[in-house]
Amino acid sequence: MTGTVLVVGEVQDGHLAGGTVEAIGVARTLGDTVVGFASGTGANAAAAEFGRSGIASAYAAEDPRLDNAPVGARLPALAGAATAAGATVIVVAGTTFGRDLVGHLAVAWDAAVATGVTEATWAEGALRVRRPIFGGRATETRRLAGARQAIALRPHAFPAAADAPTPCAVQPAPVGEVPAALLAGQRTAVAAAARGSGPGLTDASIVVSGGRGVRGPENFHLVEELAASLGAAVGASRAVTDAGWRPTSFQVGQTGRAVSPQLYIAVGISGAIQHIVGMVSSRVIVAINSDASAPIFRVADYGIVGDLFQIVPALTAEIRRVRGL
Amino acid sequence: MEIVVCVKPVPDAETRLRASPDGRTLDPEAVKFVLAGYDESAVEQALLLKEAVPGSKVHAIAYGPGPRTEEVLRSAIALGCDQATWIDSGADSGGDPVAAARALAASIASVPHDLVLCGKQAGDDESGLVAGALGELLHLPDFSCVVDLRWDAGAGRFRFQRPVEAGLESWTSPTPLVVGLQQAWNDPRTAKLPAILKSRKATIGHATAAPPAGGVSSPEKFELPPPRTGAKMIDYKTPQDAAEQLVRILREDAKVFP
Repeated sequence: MTGTVLVVGEVQDGHLAGGTVEAIGVARTLGDTVVGFASGTGANAAAAEFGRSGIASAYAAEDPRLDNAPVGARLPALAGAATAAGATVIVVAGTTFGRDLVGHLAVAWDAAVATGVTEATWAEGALRVRRPIFGGRATETRRLAGARQAIALRPHAFPAAADAPTPCAVQPAPVGEVPAALLAGQRTAVAAAARGSGPGLTDASIVVSGGRGVRGPENFHLVEELAASLGAAVGASRAVTDAGWRPTSFQVGQTGRAVSPQLYIAVGISGAIQHIVGMVSSRVIVAINSDASAPIFRVADYGIVGDLFQIVPALTAEIRRVRGL
Repeated sequence: MEIVVCVKPVPDAETRLRASPDGRTLDPEAVKFVLAGYDESAVEQALLLKEAVPGSKVHAIAYGPGPRTEEVLRSAIALGCDQATWIDSGADSGGDPVAAARALAASIASVPHDLVLCGKQAGDDESGLVAGALGELLHLPDFSCVVDLRWDAGAGRFRFQRPVEAGLESWTSPTPLVVGLQQAWNDPRTAKLPAILKSRKATIGHATAAPPAGGVSSPEKFELPPPRTGAKMIDYKTPQDAAEQLVRILREDAKVFP
């Protein structure tokens, strides 16, 4: 399919956020021309970073008013840039920001949209996307028809685009009049992400979760040390958060967070369906539990039946050893 | 405060999923539908705000097919919502969240709304598109993944937080606004039996949506993953042995870390 695809990069600390290179890789498979877009303070410099992946043209809405405004304030600039570039498809990484943008693009840019996309291909003039649903218990294929499509990717679902440094010409994308109602809502602060909470958990490529088998908050450091040895996020089962051993922000499961990391290690978690639906789409699942009949072993790829108080410290030590920590 | 809360019926988490005969969607036969998890939190938050701000009213609105959509509205009434409106999706079973947002926005625009609440995403399609689309359609600021939503009566503004990739954001916004809620102040309440019985006789407002424009997003295939065959159990002599075997497997076979 020939056409122009626009990739939206989120600006974090003056640079394009990590998932942007995955979006660029997908955009290359969907069109013959790829252009970039960045917005907010630092947009000009961040947009130039699209050149690292071989993109020769990008748009920047350099305007500090956007930094602390609701996401809708960026839509006029984004839709304007897409029109100026002649783009018919917009691809964005699967962050909170990306998902929010796509909801807006459905209306403001009159696009057929999907989030959490793990595959995107052209088929009979429409964009065909696959996406996990029901917490990874099923996958749907949807046909996005019409003249325009916008998709947000599922984190970690695609490889990063290869480095191919090239000069990137950055053009201004006019922000235009931002409605007063949008500027009245203001972000007032950002605190660094708390460990084990928030998208740190949903974004992590490795998650280590502890359950009732840990027996008490005083033992949870075993789970945390294993996670630290792997650079992983810490999660917990509902039993743990209900008991107050860890805040609810740690909870993985139907009523907590759904995660789909490359590796999920369940420590002392029996595997109630409530928990399973939140982690079953992980690529590789390891379960450590003293009960060989625990349902978690039915969804795990690898299992160790044993005393977690012995297994987990040994595992932490072994990982630290092989990683040279 | 006039609070509108948007809700959706989704299959109960323990429901066995099965593809419909045409293979395009979930087969809704024999599925037990319940109020979506995050929507349950949105209803809880609406009721907590109603209790905190005297003179408030909570209006639950849902778009979808009968009878399950009407049923979740009855459960919202049983929980304490004052009023409910069902927008019948008729033949539209394509599950396009944007079509739902358009129908909801048309209905919300015609009723008082200081705060429009919905769950940050539904447990079935997990799209998370409705809050953003509602914001754009209603020309209101919208915020997804909201926690700790507080009304500051003195300032006449909401204050809330959003756990996002960069960290925990603090926000303030005047009304009206759209909120995609991640978590209420506490776990959702359960309805009491007399309220459930009373809700069966409650009047549910009825609206019909215009057919979705073009049907730009349509389902083609619904697939279930091959059943997991169970874990490869590691046979070991000592904890150190178990650890060494697992690490070797994870590095060399599963290749999940170097």
